[in-house]
Amino acid sequence: MKISLNHLKNYVEINVPAEELCERMVMAGFEVESIEKQGDNLVNVVVAKILKITPHENSDHLQICQMDVGANEPVQIVTGAQNIKEGDLVPAALNDSYLPCGVHIVKGKLRGVESNGMLCSGEELCLTEADYEGASVNGILILKDTHPVGTDMREVLGLDDYIIDFKITANRPDCNCFLGVAKEISVVLGTEFKAPKPEYKTAGGNINDYISVEVLNYELCPRYIGRIVKNLRIGQSPVWMQKAIIASGMRPINNIVDITNFVMLETGQPMHAFNYNDLADKEIIVRNARKGESITTLDGKHYDLNEDMLVIADGEKPSCLAGIMGGRESEIEDDTNDLFLESAKFRRDNIRHTGRALGIRTEASGRYERGVDIKNVEYAAERALQLIYELDAGDIIDGCIDCNKGLPEDRIITVSTDKITELIGVEVPDEKIVSILNSLGLETTISGNTITCRVPSIRDDIEGRADLAEEVMRIYGYDHIIGTPMRGTVVRGKLLPERIKANKIKSVLIGAGAYEIATYSFIGSKSIDTLMLSQDDPRRNQIKIINPLGDEYSTMRTQLTTSMLTVLATNINKKIGEGRFFEISKRFIAKSLPITEQPDELATLSLGVYGKDEDFFTLKGIIEAIVKVFGAHIEYERSTEPYLHPGRQALIKANNKEIGTFGEVHPSVSAAYGIENRVYTAEIKLDVLFTIEKRKTTYKPLPKFPAVERDFAMLVDIDTPVGEIEKAISSGAGRLLEKAELFDVYQGEQIPSGKKSVAYSVWLRSQDNTLSDVEIDDISNKIIKKLENIGAELRK
Amino acid sequence: MQETLKEIVNAAKEAVAACSDESQIENLRVQYLGKKGQLTALLKQMGSLSAEERPKVGALVNQAKQELEELISAKKQELKIKAQENKLNEETVDITMPAKPVKTGKLHPLNTVLDDMINIFQSMGFDVVDGPEVETDYYNFECLNVPADHPARDMQDTFYLGENLLLRTQTSAAQIRTMETRKPPIRVICPGRVFRADEVDATHSPVFHQIEGLVVDKGVTMCDLKGVLEEFAREIYGSDTKVKFRPSFFPFTEPSVEVDVTCSECGGKGCRVCKGSGWIEILGAGMVHPNVLRSCGIDPDVYSGFAFGIGLDRLTTTRYKISDIRLLFENDKRFLEQF
Repeated sequence: MKISLNHLKNYVEINVPAEELCERMVMAGFEVESIEKQGDNLVNVVVAKILKITPHENSDHLQICQMDVGANEPVQIVTGAQNIKEGDLVPAALNDSYLPCGVHIVKGKLRGVESNGMLCSGEELCLTEADYEGASVNGILILKDTHPVGTDMREVLGLDDYIIDFKITANRPDCNCFLGVAKEISVVLGTEFKAPKPEYKTAGGNINDYISVEVLNYELCPRYIGRIVKNLRIGQSPVWMQKAIIASGMRPINNIVDITNFVMLETGQPMHAFNYNDLADKEIIVRNARKGESITTLDGKHYDLNEDMLVIADGEKPSCLAGIMGGRESEIEDDTNDLFLESAKFRRDNIRHTGRALGIRTEASGRYERGVDIKNVEYAAERALQLIYELDAGDIIDGCIDCNKGLPEDRIITVSTDKITELIGVEVPDEKIVSILNSLGLETTISGNTITCRVPSIRDDIEGRADLAEEVMRIYGYDHIIGTPMRGTVVRGKLLPERIKANKIKSVLIGAGAYEIATYSFIGSKSIDTLMLSQDDPRRNQIKIINPLGDEYSTMRTQLTTSMLTVLATNINKKIGEGRFFEISKRFIAKSLPITEQPDELATLSLGVYGKDEDFFTLKGIIEAIVKVFGAHIEYERSTEPYLHPGRQALIKANNKEIGTFGEVHPSVSAAYGIENRVYTAEIKLDVLFTIEKRKTTYKPLPKFPAVERDFAMLVDIDTPVGEIEKAISSGAGRLLEKAELFDVYQGEQIPSGKKSVAYSVWLRSQDNTLSDVEIDDISNKIIKKLENIGAELRK
Repeated sequence: MQETLKEIVNAAKEAVAACSDESQIENLRVQYLGKKGQLTALLKQMGSLSAEERPKVGALVNQAKQELEELISAKKQELKIKAQENKLNEETVDITMPAKPVKTGKLHPLNTVLDDMINIFQSMGFDVVDGPEVETDYYNFECLNVPADHPARDMQDTFYLGENLLLRTQTSAAQIRTMETRKPPIRVICPGRVFRADEVDATHSPVFHQIEGLVVDKGVTMCDLKGVLEEFAREIYGSDTKVKFRPSFFPFTEPSVEVDVTCSECGGKGCRVCKGSGWIEILGAGMVHPNVLRSCGIDPDVYSGFAFGIGLDRLTTTRYKISDIRLLFENDKRFLEQF
């Protein structure tokens, strides 16, 4: 909330500089968003006297002025203004001056004539009539002749004020006003606080002769006060009031509207003034809108209402959108004679709902949403009448209509001071606790070490000892809190098994040269289409965000591959020649759509590689390194992911569980990402992989006997997978097989067509003895037999 | 005969001294000490000597033999060393030639920083737990003392997925789940991804990361909170870092504080990074609100606790002086390589 510091001084003594005040308020819980010294943006503009005006040779509208600016020599300034005459005092922006609008004035030539500055209008100085009489005149601002020539304009305008923008936290709606902030300042500085005491004289009459007020929904309107003011004398409000309103970011309109706005800014209680003569049947009915009703508000916009919305109606129709904005029909205008003044409390969630539903937010609705004090409703009404009386803006009719179902009792909190200091961990003297609470307006007494605290309704946020502890500490000072090292039973912090497993995978991947990436959990609604999935693919069952920031970020991902492809594309586009990337994140799988319960969030590993040394098999190697962490047996099957190359992709099975697929990305898919290179991706369901418990490792004795190596070269059908050959070798060699390594695959010249040559090195070893030639020959023959069974033709 | 011996020995010494090659020295050994060598021949002539002279001359010849043997083996050793030196010299490489690369990757900077944080808190006895990113309104708001239509909901713009289902706006939701499933004493941190409807710019991202901390036990005070945060701040920002509490408001803590640390850039003197204040705001914290404890079935008259929420992204960008948060999600390899 923006407040003029000078205005605050009407309520509280401020005996420290503005900067210090801000610092101390911050330490009491009032963050300062900005502090703006008035006039900081008005530099080198002075009062100047026009000594002589001569016409400009090359222009029919420019005039050349010789100006006395308080210097030894006159200064020549060219102006386009016509409302000046010799002898006038005007504001002159000299060479190298700054205007509030941000303009920097330097000397120059205007149609060949030197001009050493600029004569300023009220508008150019961002002034209104409230700042200086005549400021709204179209032309140069003519100053009163009381200012000495050369006086800085800041002095002339009384720009010694600071506008401080306090950030009011959501728990302190009572501080969204001058009085609330002033009260806090008085506590922080320990100075006196004075709230105005409303006093005024009425002009007789009886309100009941003028209007009847009925509240049909006390649930949504717990209190409604109405007053009548007759014979309005509408005009401008006084300068002090306009300045206070402008400082707080509002616009002065006329004395009646300004009073209602000023009282809202001063007390936090929104007010509304109705044109009495426009109220049908001289009735005010606070009720829910009826089906089909609508209203045109002050800003000329038309809204259709529904039955959840509260309105202030006259005998016929809604006249005001309760707590949000008045209706155009009953607007106060310059010729309005009589007014009905409203001060009320509306339930905050209803105002919020209505405001959201209609898309309106006003100074008033903002305050209602945060909550207004039911007792303050009356004070604010009285204050408004006092101002109407003091400014002679109308005649106040006797009598006040006050509709309510009883006002709440003050909350009484009884708690021992130990309970307060226990929470803080700092001993605050009992008398200090009592005096702080009292200074905050919480009437507090102490007996023994038990305090009894009467909480006025305006401090509805204070519910118990924790709140009292906060009130005490923010005034006593948080710097009294001294950190203590961790106490209590010594425990070891543990990680979840999933995190430990993920960390192991990350170590392997980093060792394999892969960089971890981070991408958003939501993707574009159309992204999934780039994967060319079938229409009934379950990955198309994506959860939509109801209020996304844009289509690009609208859909919770069921797979990580589209994000990975985007990252690969980013890097390829930047001419980065190669890369290995991985991400461990969640895929969101809805149980049903639209979702009615939390989806499954499943841990997923996404891999992406590209570059001249990368192919299907380098990615396969990375995958095997990962699966090895879990000690699982890995197998592959041909798979049919639509987004992968049909001949270069595989399903991965670890201990017979399907954990994912990998392969070369289909060129049509790559193309959709603007990728021309071959790129390879894998997506692994970590939720499944993590279910594989690694067997306990036990030591196997190192071999005592040598291994023998035998090579097997063979011709096989071109489409025989080497995996089959390996299986044959394995079954032929039995438990003596140590390893079988593929060392050559060749097809082409010298090989019959339809065949390929495959060669394996096979290591055989026994744990019990050195294998004899006879044994080796025997096993070799078994291997050969198995190989021949699958159609291999051994080459000698 | 003694004369002959002397001549042979002198000639041998000269020959050995002049020798510069390992094969030559072997030839010399054969020439003098071999079966047909000169000294051996001399020994064979011993028979022609008188009985008195024989032992005397024998001793002399043996002495000479031993002398020559030692000389030759020393020379051999010398030449071997020399030969090796020569070889090593020839093998000298240009050490500025490029390495044969071992390609390793890196963790994402967010996770590098997160791992540091986890280590700090784990060593202080905090368990590291996890919570769902799609939360119910109940866990994200209601239970955290933010009922429907509470003005505090304006503090966060929430992405909704369905009736009462949303993307969590704070890891605090995990507080509730923890308190529901564990009994005090509780000491956990919950790192995770959170979401707010902030338009993307240099300092805002709709996806970001928090680390929520929660301690609940008998007699937990704000001093304990400060102690833990001081420990954390000193580990992250350096051992002379100071911690300051500023009153603030969060619906789920009371009292609530913003926590500032002395600016690590200027040490608290005031600079561009801290906008001259000497302090940098790093997190929000407070004592767990009694209503929150109560809604999790924990009696606030018996137990108290504190909670804090640290923004991981901001911590990461300030640590590495990353000027634009969007870089964290762009995943340019040249960026990722730097951390």
